[in-house]
Amino acid sequence: MPELRLSMTAEARTVLTDLLRLIAPAAARVAVNRANIPDTDVEVAGFWTETLSAQASEEARLLAAAFTNAKGDPAVVILKNDAQAHAFLRALSAVRLALRDLVFADITDAQLESNDELDDDSLPTEKRHALACYACFGLLQQSLITQLCPEAFD
Amino acid sequence: MAKPKIKPEIKTETLVSAAPKWNVVVLNDPINYQGYVVVAFMSVLRINSAEAKKLMRAVHVDGRATVWTGDRERAEMLALELQQWHLNALLEKDA
Repeated sequence: MPELRLSMTAEARTVLTDLLRLIAPAAARVAVNRANIPDTDVEVAGFWTETLSAQASEEARLLAAAFTNAKGDPAVVILKNDAQAHAFLRALSAVRLALRDLVFADITDAQLESNDELDDDSLPTEKRHALACYACFGLLQQSLITQLCPEAFD
Repeated sequence: MAKPKIKPEIKTETLVSAAPKWNVVVLNDPINYQGYVVVAFMSVLRINSAEAKKLMRAVHVDGRATVWTGDRERAEMLALELQQWHLNALLEKDA
């Protein structure tokens, strides 16, 4: 597989990197909290919790490193193979889920899905900022999926 | 005089009880994109994009879909892998 590239302006990289520093540590916790972990078997539940937590922490580190290493303008994240691309996709998903749970808890799914409906003036600055980042992380995901599997969005 | 030995009649039968099947169910979520779910299904379930899209649409339209049915051990593994993709996956015993 040829390497995959995600480009963004240097300004976007700086803004997203700053947000990641804040949200990434919580992403692993949110991933575990949201999971439907079977509660009938203590051993299985323990294994699932450990696996999900370790993976989410690792992916948060991967994401932070990728953004930190994306130098230049435009800043380019390079993913060398499918495994890296999949991990990056999952990490972006974890961050979006964490933002959804921790920052946009009072916004409905429908409003969030079409964020045009959100009246900018009704939201505090930090939330508008986080919402813009949430959309950017989504765009990065879509760009990556389009490169990985163009027919996925048909 | 020796008593006649009565040989008890022994009948054996084999009862085959099939192990219950387990379903891996995925619930719709408003955060992950449809394309993302397709890629997750292709990666975890080892299916092609057409099959993955069919399952994704079922999840999207019906709110949930059974994406795999079989033995418990494998079902647990797949449900965990789907959760590693941050999908709302759960295990249900097949009725």
